[in-house]
Amino acid sequence: MSVFGNTRVAFIESMAEIVEQDPNAVLVCADSVLVVKGKAFIEKYPGRFFDVGIAEQNAVACAAGMAACGLVPFVATYAGFITMRACEQVRTFVAYPGLNVKFVGANGGISAGEREGVTHQFFEDIGILRAIPGVTVVVPADHAQVRQATKAIHGIRGPAYMRIGSGRDPVVDSDIPFELGKVRILKEYGSDIALFANGFVVNRALKAADVLKAEGINAVVADVHTLKPLDETAIIEILKRTGAAVTVEDHNIIGGLGSAIAELSAEKLPCPVIRIGLRDIYPRSGEPESLLDYYKMSVTDIVEAAKRAIKTRV
Amino acid sequence: MKENIGRLEEIARLIRIDVVTMIHKAGDGHPGPALSAADLITALYFHIMDVDPKNPSRQDRDRFVLSKGHACPALYAALARKGYFSHSELVGLRSLESFLQGHPDMNKTPGIDSTSGSLGNGVAIGLGMTLAGRYFGRDYFTYVITGDGEIEEGIVWEAAMSAKKYKTGRLIVFVDNNGIQSGGPIEKVSGLNPILPKWEAFGWHCQEIDGHNFAEILQATEKAKENTGQPSLILAHTIKGKGVPYMIGDNSWHKRVPTKEEYKEAMRALGGEIT
Repeated sequence: MSVFGNTRVAFIESMAEIVEQDPNAVLVCADSVLVVKGKAFIEKYPGRFFDVGIAEQNAVACAAGMAACGLVPFVATYAGFITMRACEQVRTFVAYPGLNVKFVGANGGISAGEREGVTHQFFEDIGILRAIPGVTVVVPADHAQVRQATKAIHGIRGPAYMRIGSGRDPVVDSDIPFELGKVRILKEYGSDIALFANGFVVNRALKAADVLKAEGINAVVADVHTLKPLDETAIIEILKRTGAAVTVEDHNIIGGLGSAIAELSAEKLPCPVIRIGLRDIYPRSGEPESLLDYYKMSVTDIVEAAKRAIKTRV
Repeated sequence: MKENIGRLEEIARLIRIDVVTMIHKAGDGHPGPALSAADLITALYFHIMDVDPKNPSRQDRDRFVLSKGHACPALYAALARKGYFSHSELVGLRSLESFLQGHPDMNKTPGIDSTSGSLGNGVAIGLGMTLAGRYFGRDYFTYVITGDGEIEEGIVWEAAMSAKKYKTGRLIVFVDNNGIQSGGPIEKVSGLNPILPKWEAFGWHCQEIDGHNFAEILQATEKAKENTGQPSLILAHTIKGKGVPYMIGDNSWHKRVPTKEEYKEAMRALGGEIT
C-alpha cells in the first residue's frame, strides 16, 4: 500500500520560503492558484503574485519581460499548458535569451491526471523541453524531492522546469538527498541490471528490484530526476557495471528518460535498454495506480523487461 | 518644437538610407515593414525615451520592444546612430560574424531590451517589463511597436486583458498600421479591422495618429504618459515602404532585396549617398 504526499503543496510551501529569502522572486499563475494550492500564499504575499488569467502564452511572455527587468518569476500551472500551449514562448522568449524564469508543471504523467483524461494528462512535457536548448529539466519523485528541487532550480540562474503531480503523489521511502544534476542511487543489490527511473513511478522500480532480488537477479536502482543536464558520468558508470538497463517513467517512451538513456548508451556504451513508459498512445481516464498497470508500467512489466534486457545482453 | 521636428525628420531620413543600404548589402531582409516603422523608432530613440547608450543596462532606463522584429534594420540603424555601436557594423546584418541577427537578440546586440521576431509577443513582454518596473518602484516607461497584422495573434489580446487588470499606465503600445501583412491587405487576410474599437473595448486609452508625423507622434506620446491609470494604445497610420516610392503599394517589398539599380533609385529618392 502506497503512502501519499502532496507535491503541489510541497511546491507552494517551498515557494513561500523562497519569497521570504529572495526579494525578486514572484509567482505567476494563469488562473492556476488553486491548481498549485496557492490560496494561503497569495493571501500572505499579495505583492508577490501575478495572475494573468487563463492565458498561458501571456503568462510565459510576461514572465520573460519580468525576468528581463530583474524579477525571478515562477510560472506555475498545468504541465501541458506550459510546455505545449506556451511552448514557443518558453523556447523563444525564455530559453533562447536564457532568462531566469522557472516553470512548474502540474499533472505530470498519466497517473497525475486526476482521472481527467488526456486533456489533463501530460506525458510529452519532458520530451518537448529536452529538445529546447538551455532549459534545466527536473522530474522529482515525490513531495520531499519537490521541496528540494524547487529550491535547487531557484538556486541556479536561467530557465528551469520542474514537474509536479496531482496532489496525491506516492512517497518514496528514501533519505538520500536530492542534488540537482546528480543521479541518486536508491538501491544497489548488485550489477545484474540497471533500473533508471524518475517521477511518481520510482516506487515501482524499487518494488521491481525487490521482486528481481527474490529471483536471484540483483539490480541497481537509480533515480534520474534531472534530465537536463543529464548526469552522464554516473549513468555510464552504472551501465559499465550492468551492461543492460530498463528505464521507468510516467511519460511517453519517446523523448523522456528512456530516450535520454538510450541516446547516451547508443553513443557512448551500446547495450540493451528497454523503455517502460506510455507506449506512444493516448491513455484513458482512471484511477492512477490501475492506469499505470493497464498501460504496461506495472512492477511485473518492469521485472519482465529486466529479464529481457539481461537476456539480450551480449 | 519646429527645430526638433526637423531634426527628427533628418534622422529618420538617414535611418531609411541605412535600412535600404543594409538590406541591399546583406542580400536579405524586410525593407517595407522597416520603412513604415522608421519614424516611430526615430521618435522613440531620439526624443521620447530616456536611455543612455553609454550605460545600456541602467535599471531605470525606458524599455523598448520591437514586437515586429522583422523591422529590425530600422532599429539597428537607430541604435548605431544613437551610439550603442559603430555605424560600420550595420553592413554585417544577418551575416555569420555579425551581432546583428535576422531578428532582434537581446544578448547579442547592445541596446536591445528584448528578443523578438515571432509575432504577437511584444505586448505581453512589455507588460512583464512594466509590472517589474512597478514592483521595483522604478518609474520607467515601456514602449512597444507592434505590427498591425501580428495583433491577429491571440496572445496580444491575452496581454491586453492583463494590462487592463493591472492598470499599467507605463505601458505604451504603438500599432504600426501600414495595413498590409505578409500575405496581402489585412482586409483580405483576416477580420482584424477595425483595430481601434477593439483596444477601446479592452479598456485601453486609445489614440489615432499619422505615424509619419512627428508632431503627432510626440503629442500622442505625451498624452499617453499623462494617462497613468490605463495602458495606452496609439494606432499609427503608416505607409509600408515609406520614403522609397517604388516600394509603396507593392507588397513584394515586405521581404525583398533591392538590386543595384533599385538601390540607387532608393538612394536618389532618400537623398542618400551610393556606397
